[in-house]
Amino acid sequence: MMRLIEPLNTQPVNSEEKSPSALAILGRELVKDKLAMASIIILILLLSTVYITSLVLNQDQIVKIDLLEINAPPSEDHLLGTDQGGRDIFGQLIIGTRNSFSIGFLITLITGIIGLTVGLIAGYFGGIADNIIMRIIDFVLVLPFLMIVIVCATIVPKFNLWTFIFVMSAFLWTGKARLIRSKTLAERELDYVSASKTLGTPNWKIILREVLPNLSSIIIVNLTLNLAGNIGIESGLSFLGFGLPESTPSLGTLISYAQDADTIQNKWWVWVPASVLILVLMLCINFVGQALKRATDARQRKG
Amino acid sequence: MAFLEVKDLKVYYPIRGGFFKRVIDYVKAVDGINIRLEQGETYGLVGESGCGKSTTGRALLKLTKTTSGQVLFNGTDLTSVSAHKMHELRKDIQMIFQDPYSSLNPKKRIVDIIAEPLRNYEHLSRKEENKVAREYMERVGLSSDSIYKYPHEFSGGQRQRIGIARALTLNPKLIVADEPVSALDVSVQAQVLNFMQDIQKEFNLTYLFISHDLGVIRHMCDRIGIMYQGRLVEEGLSRDIYENPQHIYTKRLISAIPNIDPAHREKQSAIRHQINDEYNKSYKNYFDNDGKAYQLKAISPTHFVALP
Amino acid sequence: MLKFLLRRILIMIPQLFILSVLIFTLAKAMPGDALSGQLENAHADPKVIAEQRQKLGLDDPIQVQYIRWINHAIHGDLGMSYTHKIPVTDLIGERLWNTLLLAAATLIVSYAIAIPFGVASGRWTNSWLDKWVTCYTYFTYATPLFIFAILMMFLFSFELNLFPSGGSVDPQAVPGTLNYFISKFTHLVLPTLSGALLATSTTIQFLRNEVIDTKIQDFVATARSKGVPESKVYSRHILRNSFLPIAAFLGYDITGLIGGSVFVESIYSYPGLGQLFLDSIQQRDFTVVSALVMISGFAALLGTLLSDIILSAVDPRIRID
Ligand SMILES: Nc1ncnc2c1ncn2[C@@H]1O[C@H](COP(=O)(O)OP(=O)(O)OP(=O)(O)O)[C@@H](O)[C@H]1O
Ligand SMILES: [Mg+2]
Repeated sequence: MMRLIEPLNTQPVNSEEKSPSALAILGRELVKDKLAMASIIILILLLSTVYITSLVLNQDQIVKIDLLEINAPPSEDHLLGTDQGGRDIFGQLIIGTRNSFSIGFLITLITGIIGLTVGLIAGYFGGIADNIIMRIIDFVLVLPFLMIVIVCATIVPKFNLWTFIFVMSAFLWTGKARLIRSKTLAERELDYVSASKTLGTPNWKIILREVLPNLSSIIIVNLTLNLAGNIGIESGLSFLGFGLPESTPSLGTLISYAQDADTIQNKWWVWVPASVLILVLMLCINFVGQALKRATDARQRKG
Repeated sequence: MAFLEVKDLKVYYPIRGGFFKRVIDYVKAVDGINIRLEQGETYGLVGESGCGKSTTGRALLKLTKTTSGQVLFNGTDLTSVSAHKMHELRKDIQMIFQDPYSSLNPKKRIVDIIAEPLRNYEHLSRKEENKVAREYMERVGLSSDSIYKYPHEFSGGQRQRIGIARALTLNPKLIVADEPVSALDVSVQAQVLNFMQDIQKEFNLTYLFISHDLGVIRHMCDRIGIMYQGRLVEEGLSRDIYENPQHIYTKRLISAIPNIDPAHREKQSAIRHQINDEYNKSYKNYFDNDGKAYQLKAISPTHFVALP
Repeated sequence: MLKFLLRRILIMIPQLFILSVLIFTLAKAMPGDALSGQLENAHADPKVIAEQRQKLGLDDPIQVQYIRWINHAIHGDLGMSYTHKIPVTDLIGERLWNTLLLAAATLIVSYAIAIPFGVASGRWTNSWLDKWVTCYTYFTYATPLFIFAILMMFLFSFELNLFPSGGSVDPQAVPGTLNYFISKFTHLVLPTLSGALLATSTTIQFLRNEVIDTKIQDFVATARSKGVPESKVYSRHILRNSFLPIAAFLGYDITGLIGGSVFVESIYSYPGLGQLFLDSIQQRDFTVVSALVMISGFAALLGTLLSDIILSAVDPRIRID
C-alpha cells in the first residue's frame, strides 16, 4: 500500500528523553534491538556491494538490447539470466538498486529540508503565515498524488530524473511540514524559548539552535520511515511505467515483466530477485525506523 | 523619573470563534494596571491562579504583546521602542522562570546556557566564556567544574540557580521573577529565596516578584500589589497589607494563610469563616457591576485600595 | 456544531476552485483538447483544425474556456472519449461500480481482520499473539502493494490455481445466474486480499495503542469493579471510543485508496477506474484522464469533509481549533 499519510501512532516524546543524550539513547536502543542491528548490517553490506559494483559495471553494455539472448536463464555469462530484451538481469539489479536508493534518499533529503523549513517557520511564528501554509498543506494532501505524477510523467516533454524528483518532492514535503509544525508549536510554548528571547537571542538562532535540536529524534525517525516509503513509491511508479525513463535500469521495471503470464510462471529470474531486493531494502529500513521510534517512546523501550 | 513605571497596562487575548474564526471576545488577562518601582526594591505581585500575574511579567519583557498602556523603563517606553533599542535594553531586564525544567534547554550544556546571553552581546573568546560561566556557577553556589554537564544532571533547586546565573551574566538591573520557587520542594525554597536576597544586595537588583504564596511574598517584598482578575485591588508596604488589609479580597487572601501554631488553628478557622461570610455579603461594595475592581484610592501615602 | 459544519463546507469552496483550476491547467497542457475530446488529431489539414478550434471555442480567452468547462462539468458533461467515441461519463459509469465493489470489499475484509487482532493484541500485550500481530504489522507496513499483489497472484493463481488472475468476471457467465455471482466473487478474492492485508497494519497499530491507553483509564477499572465481564468492557467501551476515529481515518485516506486501486486493478486487469486511468494514459485519451483526476480529487475532498465532521462530533476540541 502506498503510504500517503503519516503513521498513526507517533507518540508524544516525553520530557524525560529530551535529555541531551537522546541521540545516544537512540543509538543504544538500536544496538540492543537485534533485529534492527541485523537490518543495519544487511543494509550496509547490500548498499556497499551495490555502490561499489556499480562503479565497475558498464551501464551502456547492460541496457543494450541483445536479441540472441532473450529471456535466457541464469548462466555463466549472465549470472541471473536476461530479460525480454536480452539485457543482463544482475547488472540491472545493481544499477536499479543504486538508482532506487539514491532517488529515495534524494527525495527524502529534499522533502526533509523543505518540510523542516516550512514546518519550523509556520510553527514558530504562527499567525497568518501558519494559517496559509496549513491551508496549502491540507490541500496538497488531498490531491490524487499518484495520478497527477503519472499525468506529469506523460505530458512533460523531457521527463527525466530531475523532473521526476521535482514532481515527487512537490507533493511529499507536506506530511513532514505538518509533523514538524505541530511539534514546533508545542516546543515554542516552553520556557526555554521565552528565556532565549529575553536573553536577546534572535529568532532565527532560537529556531536553529534551541528548537531544532529538541526535534532531532522525531526528525530522524520520520526521515528513516520516509526513506523506505519513497523507495517504495519510486519503484511502484517505475513498475507502472511512469518512473524513470525507459533506458534507465530499474527494479520496478523488472518486476513489471511479471505481469506477463509466461514470465511470472516460467522465468522467475526476471522478477523474483528484484522483488526480493526491494522487500529486503524496505523491511530493513523500516525495522531500523521502528526501532528508532520505539527508542523515542519510553513506554516501549527495551530498558 | 521612576525606575520602572507601568501605566494603564492592558493585555487582552482574543477569543476567536463563529464564522471564519473572527474575534468574538477577549480574555482581559491584564486590564489596566499601574505599578511604580524604585531601584533596589522588591515589589510583590500576588493573586490567585489566572488573575494575570504572569501575563503582566511577560508583557514587561515583551514576551506577549501589550494591547495598550506603557511600560516606562528609565523613561523609555518599552511598548513602542525600536527593535534595535529593545535589543540593547534586554540586557537590563531579565526573567527567572517558574519551571526550572522547561526553562533550560535540555539539549545544551550548562556552559552554553550560561554563555548564551554573552554570545548575543559580548564577543568573547571560548576561553573567556568558560571563565565567566565558571565564575557565575560559583556565584550561585554550584561547582564550577560542572559547566560541561547537561541540565538533567541537576536537581530542581540547582537548575533554578543555573537559571538565575544565566539571568545575571548580563548584569541586569531589573529581574522579573515569576514564581521562582513554586516548583521547588519546600526545603529548597528558603535556600533559593535567601540566595536571591543575597544577590540583590550584591548587584543592587530590583525585583518584580510574582507569587501566589503570601508567605513567600512576606519574606521577600518591600511593597506588595494584590491582583484580582487583571486589576490591582490593593497596594501598599508589606506592613500595610499584612497588618491593615482594607479590601475584602485582600482580607480573605490573608485569612487563608495557613497557621502552623496549633493553638491558633481553631481561632483562625473561625476568623476565616467570618471573613468568608463578610466577603459574600459585601462583595457588591467592593466590585462594580461587572465584578471588576475599582480604581485605586490612596488611604495613606503608601497604601492604596480599590474602592468606589 | 451547525456553525462548524457551515464553516467547514465554506472552506471547501476555495479548495474546489483551486482543484478545478489545477486540473484545467493540466488538461490544457495535454496535447489535443482534453476537455471536450472532440479535436481531430494532428494529421488533419491545418485548415480543418483551425475551423474545429473555432467551433469548439478553443481560441476564446482562457477564462471563458474555463467557465464553459466548469459549467459543462457541473451539468455532468465531461466531454467525449477520444478512443471510445462515447461520453466520458458513460465510460466511467461502467467501471465505477467495479471499483466501488472492490473498495468496499477491501475495506470490509481489512477491518474484519484488523479489529479483532488490534484489540486482542492491545489487550494481551506481550503475549505470543501480540508478538505475532506486531511482527505481521511490521511486515505488511513495509511491503509495497505492487510486490505483494504480484506475489499473491503468483502463489494463489499460478502455483495453486485457486483463483483467476485477471478480469472481474468470467466472460462466458450469464448475468443473473448463480455462476455469474460465483465467478464475480472468485475474481474479487485476490485483488481484495492484496489490498486488505496490507491496509490492516495502520488500523491494527491504532487500535492496539488505543486499547493500551484506555486500559489504564478509570472507567474501565470502574466497569470491571462493577463486575462487568472483561470482554464486555472491551467490546463496549473501547470499541465505542475508537470506531468513529477509525471511520474518520478512512475519509482522510481516500487518496491512498485511489492510488492503491491503480496498482491492484492494473495487476489483476480488473476493469475499474484505476485501470481505465492507466489505459487512457497509454492511449493518450486525455479527456478521460482529466475527468478521472477531477473525480478523484473531488472524492478525496468529500472524504476529508466527512472525516472532519465525524471527528468533530467525537471530539469537540477539534471544532474550536
Ligand atoms: N496565550 C494565551 N492565550 C489566551 N489566553 C491566555 C494566554 N495566556 C494566558 N491567558 C489567560 O490569561 C489569564 C491570565 O493568565 P496568567 O498566566 O497571567 O495567570 P497567572 O496569574 O500567572 O496564573 P498562575 O498563578 O496560574 O500562573 C488566564 O485566564 C489565562 O487563561
Ligand atoms: Mg503564572
